[in-house]
Amino acid sequence: MNMIKQELRMNLRSLITWCLSLLAILILFMLFFPALSDQMEEFQKVFNSFPPAFQAALKLDTITIDSIMGYYQFAFSFILLGGAIQAMNLGVAIISQEVRMKTGDFLFVKPITRNRVVTMKMLAALILITMTNLILGIGASIVLLITDAQSFDLKTFLLINGSLFFTQLFFLSLGLFLSAFLKRIRTVLPLSLGVVFFFYVISMIQETVNDPKLRLISPFDYFNLAEIMERMEYNAFYLLLWMLLIILFVLGTYWLFRRKDLPAI
Amino acid sequence: MNVIDINGLTKYYGKHKGIEDVSFSVEEGEIFGFIGPNGAGKSTTIRTLLALIYPTKGSATIFGKDCIKYGHEIRRDIGYLPSEVFYYEHMKVLEVLKYSASFYDNVNPARIKELADIMDLDLNKRIDDLSYGNKKKVGIVQGLLHEPKLIILDEPTSGLDPLMQQKFFDLIRKENELGATVLFSSHILSEVQKLCHRVAIIKDGTIVDIKDIQEMRRNNYKKVMLEFDGIIDISHFNLPGVTRLTLENNVMEFLYKGDINKIIQRLQGVKLANMLIEEPTLEEIFMHYYQKEE
Repeated sequence: MNMIKQELRMNLRSLITWCLSLLAILILFMLFFPALSDQMEEFQKVFNSFPPAFQAALKLDTITIDSIMGYYQFAFSFILLGGAIQAMNLGVAIISQEVRMKTGDFLFVKPITRNRVVTMKMLAALILITMTNLILGIGASIVLLITDAQSFDLKTFLLINGSLFFTQLFFLSLGLFLSAFLKRIRTVLPLSLGVVFFFYVISMIQETVNDPKLRLISPFDYFNLAEIMERMEYNAFYLLLWMLLIILFVLGTYWLFRRKDLPAI
Repeated sequence: MNVIDINGLTKYYGKHKGIEDVSFSVEEGEIFGFIGPNGAGKSTTIRTLLALIYPTKGSATIFGKDCIKYGHEIRRDIGYLPSEVFYYEHMKVLEVLKYSASFYDNVNPARIKELADIMDLDLNKRIDDLSYGNKKKVGIVQGLLHEPKLIILDEPTSGLDPLMQQKFFDLIRKENELGATVLFSSHILSEVQKLCHRVAIIKDGTIVDIKDIQEMRRNNYKKVMLEFDGIIDISHFNLPGVTRLTLENNVMEFLYKGDINKIIQRLQGVKLANMLIEEPTLEEIFMHYYQKEE
């Protein structure tokens, strides 16, 4: 418990910053909704003049403005991006923290196993991600209810918000795995930004080419928002793939970290 | 009973050698010095004992248990002071110490205060406001607060002023008298001589000698420099026990092992401009080990 408390303490400020930023993005998008819904036809004309591939990549073809949930789903794709960066950042940072901050000679000489350190850090990260989702979920539902309470649909809302939680868990475990795999991480942000944007670009390509094989390596599309809206459920195959990968990353993290040499200062 | 038993411990960082075939034992209740120049492999050995790094070959036991396999159990009774101390920077000293204490069972809360008083450490300061020496003090308190049976010190005195060094040595001596075994790594021969019962000397990753400090003192080398006021016959100082004798202009230098009175006798009637008798530096001691190998 003492370790979880310590990790939560150290990540509290970053948690607050991320929650506020993600909420700010959402509110910003939602502020445009009344204006957009009035002039949607005009916008649609402009969007239609873009090349179809471009429209697909920017997910413009998925904006269905007749309901607020459709617009929310469009706005949420940017929350997913931000959330992925947060989760990846957390995953990479939390295990490499001791090495980066040179506090390894403090923590790892304590009477605890490496596995226990990893477990405690994972639990702390899980708590942080869950808190992010709770805060964002509550914030988003308030924003939606204020904007248009009538067309608010709880099931759609939960499915869309759930995709943030699942996507974040994916990037969290990927980040944990990478930090256990890489010999020494000096700075976290460039690494996590790089990986997340790499997958975001893949997702953009995937939107245009729509290739099932490419979708296998496109975690942003495991929980494809447009598809979720249409089918009102998650795609079972990709849910399974998601689960499998997370298990692999988590086990890999334990395996690699257990035998890792901690660099001297 | 041996508290530490090291058996052919070898660590390679890729192709780069850290230590090779290091073996020695530390007996219960002794203060064991571990000495060698920077980069000789002192920290590598210690970090392996603490399972911070994993050996390429060989093994070590502490309290009779394998230091890798049972590392977490063993570490309950180990206090460690790293050569460079880093803590969670935005925390206060007391918070760090309490966090450290929370990993052990039954830490006496009064002990933090007691140790901090001895080391003259302000518990309410933030870690990032501390000077290097003060961080070192946090390390000392942190390493001792759970009353460890084995204290491992890696270059503990760097950054401490002489007064604090003295207090620190007293503290270690007291813990030792209360039953703690101490492994003391340093590159400063004099401080090891002051504190330790036995000493292992490491050079380029291998142990070159293990010595009793008492015996070492008896075999103590002195470095002698004599500046003459005139011409001197080199054979005048060709005594048994004199090694590495050089004469440059009027300055003669040599290492001497033996009865110092013999040197004093030879100086009778010689006119000197200057004279210096000092402890040889560690490097010079090591030169001696090199020569023995040849």
